[in-house]
Amino acid sequence: MNLENDLKRALRRESPPPGFAGRVMQRIEHGEVQRTRPAWWRAAAASVALAALLGGYTAHRVVEQRRGEQAKEQVLEAMRIASEKMRYAQEEARSIGSHD
Amino acid sequence: MRKLVISTVLALLCAVPASAQKINLDFPGLADRAEEVVDITLDASMLRMAAKFFSNKNADERALREMIGGLEGIYVRSYEFAKEGEYDRALVDRIKTQLGASWKPLVTVRSKKRENVNIYANMVGEKVTGLVIISAEPREFTVVNINGPIDIERLSELEGQFGIPEFSSKEGKRHD
Amino acid sequence: MPDALSRAKSGDHDAFAELIERHEGMVFSLAYHFFNDRSRAEETAQDVFLQLYRSLGTIDSDAHLLFWLRQVTTRRCIDQARRVKLRAVSLEDVELRATEKWADPFLDRLIRESIETLPDAQRAVVTLRYQEDLDPSEICRIVGMPVNTVKSHLHRALQALRRKLEKHS
Repeated sequence: MNLENDLKRALRRESPPPGFAGRVMQRIEHGEVQRTRPAWWRAAAASVALAALLGGYTAHRVVEQRRGEQAKEQVLEAMRIASEKMRYAQEEARSIGSHD
Repeated sequence: MRKLVISTVLALLCAVPASAQKINLDFPGLADRAEEVVDITLDASMLRMAAKFFSNKNADERALREMIGGLEGIYVRSYEFAKEGEYDRALVDRIKTQLGASWKPLVTVRSKKRENVNIYANMVGEKVTGLVIISAEPREFTVVNINGPIDIERLSELEGQFGIPEFSSKEGKRHD
Repeated sequence: MPDALSRAKSGDHDAFAELIERHEGMVFSLAYHFFNDRSRAEETAQDVFLQLYRSLGTIDSDAHLLFWLRQVTTRRCIDQARRVKLRAVSLEDVELRATEKWADPFLDRLIRESIETLPDAQRAVVTLRYQEDLDPSEICRIVGMPVNTVKSHLHRALQALRRKLEKHS
């Protein structure tokens, strides 16, 4: 079994049911969704204000932020690995139990 | 044919803060032979720092923050190799011999072709104050050591819940 | 003549419909392979394009559009999976599966059903990797995870799929 080739084949793109684009356009034309302009001016104003506030922000705080986010990512990764192994062991235990 | 040896599986236990044993997870030369390495060392202070970055508004992150709140350390060493036979399976016994009398086996899964897993819990009375997970596969060797009170049931439910951020302001972010 | 994206941004509905037709296969398939459910996939895909219509002003190139569609579709699938753990199977699904049983090779169906049992993050990463042929560095930008985390998910997903498929073989 070549799993990667099998996955590529099983996950090949497929078309939605016929008329898909028409159904989306119908919803748009019936006013179901309104276009909104990007509030770029609001984002720009916020950036200027933030830059002014951060004028006194020390590099140390920025480094701490980065370290904290990295530590969080590491916690997530560690817990994922631990959880995966626990689940595998529990599944094996259950499958043995069901064969008894 | 695979052989399975199962000892016991413990359920959820309450936590009592207690110092737990830190296992020596130095494996000289292993990282150099590995294709992929995961090396995580988080002591109590790093865990407190990390906890501040879990969102209070997200139920899953809140639960995880509570889980790690009382821990004293999380250590992971995981090595993935290009082919079989790149590490000595005796490493498993080397770790087991470090575990004192208070460490009890929770689950042992033994398979000739697939993954061998040994899970040990450090018991103080009926409380779990530490966890060691040793996983030995033909091309991967992984050890996880968690020190401190840990909710085993909750831990095994976590997989898949984390990793992808909530759908929020990152939508439509430019790819460059 | 300006391309379809530029015309759609100017309010040309025909041009927007052209964009839908160009990308509907990709968007629908991402959702279908995630949920293994055609009606849920169509619903998700429609919502993605409605969201695109609202957000057209923020898209500045065809490449950005493709990235945006992949990212939004994947994240919508994950969010929905988190909210709705149980779903009712529609009759349409049941009938479709009955014909698919003969139309599709058994293995393909088994693979899709196995993928459906993977945790959300692994499912998303596998779908992006093998449907869209993206490498981990591209996937990590779509799902917002570090590249090593993506590789880890991919690795564990393949392990889990191998185990499930070996059990059936």
